Amino acid sequence: MSILIDENTKLIIQGITGREGTFHGERMIAYGTKVVGGVTPGKGGQNVFGVPVFDTVKQAYEETGANTSVLFVPAKFTAEGAYEAIDAKIPLVITIAEHVPVHDMMNVYNLARKSDSIVVGPNSFGIISPGKSKAGFMHDKIFSQGNVGIMSRSATNCYETVFLLTNEGIGQSTVIGIGGDMIPGSSFIDFLPMFEKDEQTGIIVLIGEIGGSDEEIAAEYIKKYVKKPVVALIAGKNAPKGTSMGHAGAIVSADGTGSADNKEQKLSEAGVIIAESTEHIVKIIKEMQ
Amino acid sequence: MKLLEYKGKELLRDYGIPIQNGVVIEENQDIKESVKNLKSPYVLKVQIMTGGRGKAGGIKFADSALEADKLAKEMLKMEIKKLKVKKVLVAEKVDLIDEWYLSIVLDRFNKAPMLIFSPLGGVDIEDTAKNNPEKIVKIPINFFMGIKEYTIRYIFKKYCLDMSFFEAFTSIVKNLYRLFIEYDCTLAEINPLAIVGDGKLLAVDCKADIDDSSLYRHSDIVEFRNSIEENVLVKEARAFNFLYIPVTDEGNIAVVSNGSGMIMSCIDLITKNGQKVGAALDLGGGATSDRIAEAVKIIFKNKNTICLFISIFGGITRCDEVALGVKGALESGEIEKDRVVVIRLEGTNKPEALKILSEIGDNVVIADSISDGVNKISSRRF
Repeated sequence: MSILIDENTKLIIQGITGREGTFHGERMIAYGTKVVGGVTPGKGGQNVFGVPVFDTVKQAYEETGANTSVLFVPAKFTAEGAYEAIDAKIPLVITIAEHVPVHDMMNVYNLARKSDSIVVGPNSFGIISPGKSKAGFMHDKIFSQGNVGIMSRSATNCYETVFLLTNEGIGQSTVIGIGGDMIPGSSFIDFLPMFEKDEQTGIIVLIGEIGGSDEEIAAEYIKKYVKKPVVALIAGKNAPKGTSMGHAGAIVSADGTGSADNKEQKLSEAGVIIAESTEHIVKIIKEMQ
Repeated sequence: MKLLEYKGKELLRDYGIPIQNGVVIEENQDIKESVKNLKSPYVLKVQIMTGGRGKAGGIKFADSALEADKLAKEMLKMEIKKLKVKKVLVAEKVDLIDEWYLSIVLDRFNKAPMLIFSPLGGVDIEDTAKNNPEKIVKIPINFFMGIKEYTIRYIFKKYCLDMSFFEAFTSIVKNLYRLFIEYDCTLAEINPLAIVGDGKLLAVDCKADIDDSSLYRHSDIVEFRNSIEENVLVKEARAFNFLYIPVTDEGNIAVVSNGSGMIMSCIDLITKNGQKVGAALDLGGGATSDRIAEAVKIIFKNKNTICLFISIFGGITRCDEVALGVKGALESGEIEKDRVVVIRLEGTNKPEALKILSEIGDNVVIADSISDGVNKISSRRF
């Protein structure tokens, strides 16, 4: 099975004629992703490596029946691109760019929640269901098909985990880059029900970090509804204070929300196994297999 | 990007929120001339990027221009928490009747702005949260509607506030919200918001934090950032699109990596092993040999750093490029000979990279994994 992305994914690339869009578009096709079209305003009618280019997402959707869009557009155009994809009723919209203004994401998030679209990212490597399809820029050679479902706020900690898992012969069902921004389009809570239901997924890995309360929210859900084993890593225990959170975070989290300790405690109370490092995640999973 | 008080107040003024008359004084400025349009007495406040300036002697009062001149000159020689004072705000002193707290923050839980109010202003809101939690109200703002009058009425009724301030307060809240949205703020705080007389309110201090990712559309904030005193290495690193993060002053280990998740993981593991990280540098994308060399040089410009841990996990990053960069930096003559680099690489052309690294010398230690690297650092007992 796997979640979100699979062999039935029909992907369009927003920004397909750009450097990144073209570079990673070819790699996605080589991996087996069905890339059915691309969108670049003003370049409709062209062809890029055999893929038709459209001027708008709506046209691309109507002509190709795409069900997923990945945005390889610069940060300052990401919100606009996401609005267009949501408006065109694309069910899954994946945003890649780093440094998208958080107010833009606040708009995208609130709009998406009033729609039927799921937005993933920004500041995300994308989503991959190994052996089936990928939408994003991850280095696919380190992934392998298997029963571990992974969602991560950090790309590097995720790659590290996947690389070590694959080296141990342990594959993955779906791996999701949630992204490291303050307001991600979707977070752990949105994917936990999907992983819990997915037949291929046997173990869920949650890679979080300090800041916000997405891990605490996930912990509450896991406690009530998740039967599958969950392993979590929280990065940033010793990060300097105030660097990413600042004063604003200090008041919202007067109750301790946002600190690594609080996240680990809440997850642990929900029955989640806490790992100390990426290597430790793999050791724990190896013992479970 | 956190703003200094004077810059925050400039924005408040631009958005129609009343502030005291004041001027910003810098070194070698004719202070008596600068304050001649202000009414005495004066309040003088150092403009530095740290809290607790009052306790450190960074706030003073003067009755005359002459006294203001003397005090400002002294203040411009001060150093508070290792930060040199470059600017002093001189403002007309106001007599406060009462002080409130007002802020709008970006609430990550609700993914929307949140209004925070307390009738106990003039103290840190964290202290009020701890000591008088019933004196703080936090109201999530409906993102599609913005702030409506009924929300303000609710605050006034909740804390039995004098309705003669309703109009002035409503105007300030709405303007602050407009500023929050238009300037991409994650925080816009007025503390204290002072009651100074008949229905009159005044923003006496201001803290604002503007989303770094939005600075491309706020050229005045970029200008402000360039004008203030910052960590030199942070500035230098930014020129190469690196992010330099000071971690702890007493740390002597540094971390360089190509992602913030990996950096946090490395700091966690090194700290857990009983050692202290002084700084970290995020390379971002594009780990070419030139960029790696610059990053290594910048890291060792901090003389406390005696050991650098480089951990690069590059799908498409070429390890040999990284190795050449390290070699280039260490052989540039700009780095002292006793400095050590522990390096862990994973990606394409790894064998070539290991060969290059092994030929540099004893000051380069190759690790197989993050934990191996961390152990090799601790075995050297830095």
